[in-house]
Amino acid sequence: MARVKNWQLGREMSYWYPEARPKKQFAAIFDTNKCIACQTCTLACKTTWTSGRGQEYMLWNNVETKPWGSYPLAWDVRELDLLGPQHWTGDTYTGKTIFEAAPEGKKNIGWTPNDMDYAYPNRGEDEVNVTINVKRYHLKLPHDMWFFYLPRVCNHCTYPACLQACTRQSIYKRPEDGIVLVDQERCRGYRICFEACPYKKIFYNHTTRVSEKCVFCFPAVEQGYQPRCMRNCIGKIRSFGFVSTPANAREDNPIDFLVHVRKVAKPLYPQFGLEPNVYYIPPIHVSSNDFLTMLFGAGARHAIDTYRAAMEGDDPELLGALLLAVSTDRIIHRYQVTGDTVIGWAEDGEEVVRIPLKVPTIERAPFDPDLNVYRHNIT
Amino acid sequence: MSDTTVTSPAGTAPAGTAPAGTGAANGVSRRGLLAGGLAGAGALAITACAADPSDVSVSGGVWVARVGRAPIEPADAAWDRAAPTIVDMDVQVMVLPHRPAPLVAQIAVRALHDGETISFRLDWDDPDTHDLTVRVDDFRDACAVLLAGGEGDQGLRTMGSVDQPATLLHWKADWQRDMDLGVQGAADVYPNRSIDVYPPLISDAPRDLTPADYEAADATEWLPGLHVGNPLSASTRTACVEKLTARGFGTATTATKQNVAGRGERTSSGWRVVLAKPLRGIEADEFTLTPGHAHTCAFALWSGADQDAGGRKTPSKAALRLLLEF
Repeated sequence: MARVKNWQLGREMSYWYPEARPKKQFAAIFDTNKCIACQTCTLACKTTWTSGRGQEYMLWNNVETKPWGSYPLAWDVRELDLLGPQHWTGDTYTGKTIFEAAPEGKKNIGWTPNDMDYAYPNRGEDEVNVTINVKRYHLKLPHDMWFFYLPRVCNHCTYPACLQACTRQSIYKRPEDGIVLVDQERCRGYRICFEACPYKKIFYNHTTRVSEKCVFCFPAVEQGYQPRCMRNCIGKIRSFGFVSTPANAREDNPIDFLVHVRKVAKPLYPQFGLEPNVYYIPPIHVSSNDFLTMLFGAGARHAIDTYRAAMEGDDPELLGALLLAVSTDRIIHRYQVTGDTVIGWAEDGEEVVRIPLKVPTIERAPFDPDLNVYRHNIT
Repeated sequence: MSDTTVTSPAGTAPAGTAPAGTGAANGVSRRGLLAGGLAGAGALAITACAADPSDVSVSGGVWVARVGRAPIEPADAAWDRAAPTIVDMDVQVMVLPHRPAPLVAQIAVRALHDGETISFRLDWDDPDTHDLTVRVDDFRDACAVLLAGGEGDQGLRTMGSVDQPATLLHWKADWQRDMDLGVQGAADVYPNRSIDVYPPLISDAPRDLTPADYEAADATEWLPGLHVGNPLSASTRTACVEKLTARGFGTATTATKQNVAGRGERTSSGWRVVLAKPLRGIEADEFTLTPGHAHTCAFALWSGADQDAGGRKTPSKAALRLLLEF
């Protein structure tokens, strides 16, 4: 095994290929505080990519409720159970990754779901973390009782478990943008990738008998447009762009700013060791630091504190970066906050969005003479 | 290709092989004598062999007797003329993941040729039948024969090499079921499921679409594997054996022309499967076998019950000499 740098773990780790980062790594950030589980992203993906025969059960994008939701069934707790104790010392993960914990005869820990594990995509929906009893609760932050929504897509990992597992090299990571794809010609349906991916975002097509996965809408990305699940997010929780390594982070790249500069966006289950490239702004109302650390690694509480400060108006650069989410179909490569406005530019330098940090209040007359009606809302 | 010429089965057959009707060949153990005797009656079962471990001899090669017509059915009486070679099996350990232990310790291999076609029959114990790959955790039973140059060249056992390609015959239990019952799908596993419409074929009433329907509607882009011509995704099955070529691990490539045949059937204890191909190779990397010469062969099994696939298999412990009667 090679020794590679996984900055999300704060250390080197063992992986089955040497470190080979793409020229550019596309990434996404999901703000869990804004997700309402409307599943518009799920449907946008479903109608675009997985409406064929054999893809019925596939949800390349899904939204589940935490702590109890999961698709496929118990995908994360089964993996965590196999992984064993996971310790952080400061910002350094001192436990084992799924590669380092591999048993004899395997490259990684893993498990194979069955059909029934996909039968309950909404299991645990809207269920709170504890049993509701007679005790009276009142609203405060963080909440005594809580749940939140966790949208999920393939993480297009820097160290993909699916890729290293495939004995046919049917899975590849594109050097130009870091998107991980399954070669539909080479794949022979061994499903070793399916067993290996801890996020369970590889799917077996029962009609074509080969594996498929999220393609990050690469035909759109290649033309400078965001994936369908991002563009259709009505809660505007999704930011899409490219992420750098910490040493190369650019303050004017909104993704880098959120991940590396302000550190409000955290990877999902970084302890697996895949360096996933979808990040999450942790939910501010969850009271359990242990749960947040388990999901988002060290620094989850710090991310929440930083995020809340921005929402209170103390950090216009951070607010501006957050407001760019789903503000345009184009991929933003550079941004700047100028006064009360945030501006985003595409890769070629074209300005693609300009929005106010605070939506101006416009008062309208109570009576509309053109329509001869009274308005219910005048602001 | 080897320059060794083999002209006579009697007395020159490799160790572990007992040409039928000729008695024991040189170096054959008690097991070989037993095999020779029982093979004449068509009654040899691998379980019977395994009852006496001391009766096992390490195989030196597979003798391929010449017959009038190479059989492609497992129960063909012509197999009575083929002496079984008992081949030791092991786990594949060069590529992860691998099995913790082999599926079986040994298999029985028979081979015949008729000057045009070579047929192999592999018999092995496997208590469960796994011939579906529809559910996400369905894995197939399968077996394979490797053919390559040299004379039992151990370096070619692992799917050939960069310099010397191997030809593979791969029998798949699910493909055979596809042939017998039609290409299997969700309808065969979940007959009471609900059916929705599938774009773009939305003008039809909800019904069970098949890959052939997509082809008829020129809409195969909805079935990516089929659209790009992956043989696993084919809308119809014309054979349960696939011919491939390879130049090392992870390089198995489906041959352009599938001039192969075969058939598997269940026995009381497992499978017996025939895999056949013309002696003459017609692809760039396909190996040509020549009567009267020795070549290299190897074998492998996959168990659906153990979720075997790819390198997670039970290959023969060594490559063997394959000697074709002139």
